[in-house]
Amino acid sequence: MATETSTTADRRGIVERLRASPFLSELLSNRLAIIGLSIILGMVLLGVYARLFLDLGAISQSQLAAHPNKAPPGWLGSAALDQFLFGTDAAARDIFKRVLYGAWLALKFGVLVVGASTVLGISLGIIAAYYGDVVDNVVMRTMDVFLAFPSLLLALALVAIFGAGLSKVVIALTLVYTPRFARVVRGAALKVLEDEYIDATVALGARDPRVLVRHVLPNCLAPITVQSTLNFGLAIIDLAALSFLGFGAQAGTPSWGLMLKNGVSNGLLTGDWWLSFFPGLFLAVTVLGFNLLGDGMRDALDPRMRETVE
Amino acid sequence: MARYDPLLAWFRRRLRLVATAGAVGIVLGGIAAVVIAVLDDPTTASTQTFAIGTLAFGFGILGWSGSALAGRSIEGLQRRLDTNSDWTERDSRRAMTRLSGFGAGVMAGVVIVTPLLP
Amino acid sequence: MVSKRFIAKRLLLLVPVLFGVATVVFAILHLAPGDPARVILGQRAPTQQVVQLRRELGLNDPIWVQYGRFLADTAQLDFGQSYQIAKGSPVWDVLADRLPVTIELAIYGQITAILLGIPLGVLSAVKQDSLTDHVTRIGALTGISVPIFWSGPLVLLVFATFLGWLPTSGRIGSTFFLEDHWVLFGTQLPLTGMVSIDTFILDTGAFVQSILYGEGLGAFASLTEYYASFISAVQHLLLPVLTLGIYSMALLSRMMRSSMLEVIRQDYIRTARAKGQGERITILKHGLRNALIPVITVIGIQFGTLLGGAVLTETVFGIGGIGQLLVAAIGATDYPLVQGTVLVFALLFTLVNLGVDVTYSYLDPRIQQ
Repeated sequence: MATETSTTADRRGIVERLRASPFLSELLSNRLAIIGLSIILGMVLLGVYARLFLDLGAISQSQLAAHPNKAPPGWLGSAALDQFLFGTDAAARDIFKRVLYGAWLALKFGVLVVGASTVLGISLGIIAAYYGDVVDNVVMRTMDVFLAFPSLLLALALVAIFGAGLSKVVIALTLVYTPRFARVVRGAALKVLEDEYIDATVALGARDPRVLVRHVLPNCLAPITVQSTLNFGLAIIDLAALSFLGFGAQAGTPSWGLMLKNGVSNGLLTGDWWLSFFPGLFLAVTVLGFNLLGDGMRDALDPRMRETVE
Repeated sequence: MARYDPLLAWFRRRLRLVATAGAVGIVLGGIAAVVIAVLDDPTTASTQTFAIGTLAFGFGILGWSGSALAGRSIEGLQRRLDTNSDWTERDSRRAMTRLSGFGAGVMAGVVIVTPLLP
Repeated sequence: MVSKRFIAKRLLLLVPVLFGVATVVFAILHLAPGDPARVILGQRAPTQQVVQLRRELGLNDPIWVQYGRFLADTAQLDFGQSYQIAKGSPVWDVLADRLPVTIELAIYGQITAILLGIPLGVLSAVKQDSLTDHVTRIGALTGISVPIFWSGPLVLLVFATFLGWLPTSGRIGSTFFLEDHWVLFGTQLPLTGMVSIDTFILDTGAFVQSILYGEGLGAFASLTEYYASFISAVQHLLLPVLTLGIYSMALLSRMMRSSMLEVIRQDYIRTARAKGQGERITILKHGLRNALIPVITVIGIQFGTLLGGAVLTETVFGIGGIGQLLVAAIGATDYPLVQGTVLVFALLFTLVNLGVDVTYSYLDPRIQQ
C-alpha cells in the first residue's frame, strides 16, 4: 500500500472510500438490509419491465369479450399453467400483468412524493436554520404541528381541499411528508453552522444561502437517504390507501390500491381471493423491503442507536 | 411609580408578540387582497385572502392549544423520530401565537381593504 | 394523586382546540373549489334556483359575516344540514348515530394493541437477541408493512368466506333488532349505541328477568340463547378489532422494546440485580414502570394513526362509523358533514390525549405542577 503513487490512489479514491466507509460496511453486513435492498431492486426491475413491455390499454380496459371474468389462477384450475398466473378480475383483466404494472405506478408515484417532499424539506430546513430566530421558530413549530397529525387523516383533509385524482393526491402527500425532511435537514444544517468552518466562510463575506447549501447538503445526505427510504414505504401505503378509498387512481388504472378496492367490492363474499391477495402481497412486500433497508441504514448510520432502537 | 406586575409584564410580552405579527398580517393581507382584486375580481379576492387568514389563525390556535395539551406526547414523539430534539412547549406556543396573530392580521387587513376595492 | 385542577385545566384547553379546528375547517370550506349551492342542487339545476339558494344560505354575504355566523352556529353544536349523504338531516344527528360505532372499534382496537404490544415488547427486550426477540421484531416490522386494506380482506376471506366461522360484514346478525333504549323498572333508559355494550345490557336484562320471574336457575342451561345477540355482536366485532389492533400493536411493541432496553441498561437496575433480587422481579418492578412512561406518551399521538386505520377498517368491513362517513362525505363534497366529522375526530383525539396525560402524571407524579 505504501508504494502506491498518489495517482492510483486518486483513481481508486471512490472505491476505496466506499470500502472504508463504516456506513456501507455496516450496512452490507446487515442481512435484513440486504434482503430489503434485493426486494426493492426486484420490484424496480419488474416495474420497468411492465412499463416497457406491457400494453397499458389491454390491462386497463375491460376484457370481458376476450376472457372469462374472475377466472382463478391457471395453476389452480384446468387451464394451462401460464394462463392467468394470478387469475382475472371482475372485468376479465389479467391480474398478473396488472400487478406488475402496479409496481411501476407505485414506484413512480412514490418517487414523486418522496422526491418532492425531500426538495421542499431541504429548502425549508435550510431556510429555518439559516435565518434562525423568528423564522426558524415559526417554520419548524408549524412543521411539528403537521407532524402531530396522522398522515392518512391529514392527506384526506388535503384531498378535501384539492379534490380527488392521482396528481392531487401526490401534492397532498408531498405536503404531508415535507415536515419530516425539514426536521432532519434543519438539524444537520444547524450542526454545520456551528462548525467554525462555516463561521470562517461567513466571516470572509460569503454570507450567502448558497454557501450553506454547498456545505449542508453533503453533511445531511446520509440522514436524508435514511429518511427517504423509511418514508418511501409509508408513502406507498398512503398512496395505495387513498386509491383504495377512491380518491387516487381513476377506475381502470392498474394501481395496487385500486385493485384492492376492486377485490373488496367484488371478491370477498364470493371467495375470489386472488383479486385481493396478489396486489396486496406485492404492496406489502415492497413496503417491507423499504422498511428493512431503512432500518438497516439507520443502524449503520448510528451504531449507538442500534443498541436501543432496532 | 408603577409597581412591577408580573401578570402585566406577561400580558405585555404576549401582546407585543401578537401585535407585531398582526401588523405584518394586516399589511400583507391588504396587499394580497388588492393584488388578487386587480387580477381576478373583488369578491374572490376578499373571500380567498380572508380564508387564508383564517387558515393561519385557526392553525395557530390549534397548534397553541395542542402544544399545551399534548406537549409531553409530542416530546415523546420527537424522541422517537430520533432527530436531535430541541422542541419545547414554550417555544411552540410562541410560534403559534405569532402565527395566529399573523392570521388575525390578514383577516383584519381584508376587512379594512374590501370596501375600498373597485 | 392527580389533582382535579390539573384535569380541569386540561379540559378547558378543549375549547381553543375545537375553536381552532372549526376555524381551519371554515378556511378549507372556502378555499375548496365548488359552489355549495351547486353541490346541493346538482349539476343540472337551473341557474336561477342556484342563485336563490345561495341567497338563502347567506353565501353572498361578506366572508367575515359568514365566519361569524359559522362560529355562532358551531358553538351551539349546529353543524347545519348534510348536502348529499343524508340529505336534509342535521349533521349532528348523523354524527350522533355513527360516532359510537367508531368509538367502539377504536377502543377495542387500542386495548388489543396495548394488551398484545406491550408484553411482546417487554419479552423481546428481556430476551434480547434470542430467537423470540428476532421473531417478534421481524413480526413487528412485517406488521407495520402490511396495510389494513390487505390484512382485513385476507382475514375476512379466511375466517368468514371460507371457514364460515365469523360473519363477513355489518355489526350484528340480520335476525336481531337493535333497540335504542332499555327499560328498567318501567323507566326508559338510553343506550350507548355501542353494539357490544347495548346487547350485553339488554341480554343481561332478559336473563335476570328470566331467573327472577321465569325459569329460575334453569335459565343458566340456556345461557347462550339469552346472550345470542351479544354473541352475534362480538362475532361481528372480532375481525375488525383484531385487524386494527394488530396493526397498531406492531408499532407499540417496537417502541416498548426500545424503551425497555434503555431502562434495563440503566444503572439502578444493575444495582438492584447486584443486591441479589431475582432478575424477573427486578425487571418487572423497576423497569416496567419507567419504560412505560415514554411509551404511554406516544400512545396518545399514535391514537391518531389508529383513527386513520379505523377509516380503512370501517371501509373494508362495511361498518358504518364516522370513518366511512368521512370518506363518503369527502367523495360527495358534502362539506357540512366533512366539517362535523373532522371536529368529532379532533375531539376524540384530544380526549384520548387528555386521558394519556392523566395516566402519565399518575405514573410520574413529578410532572404535575
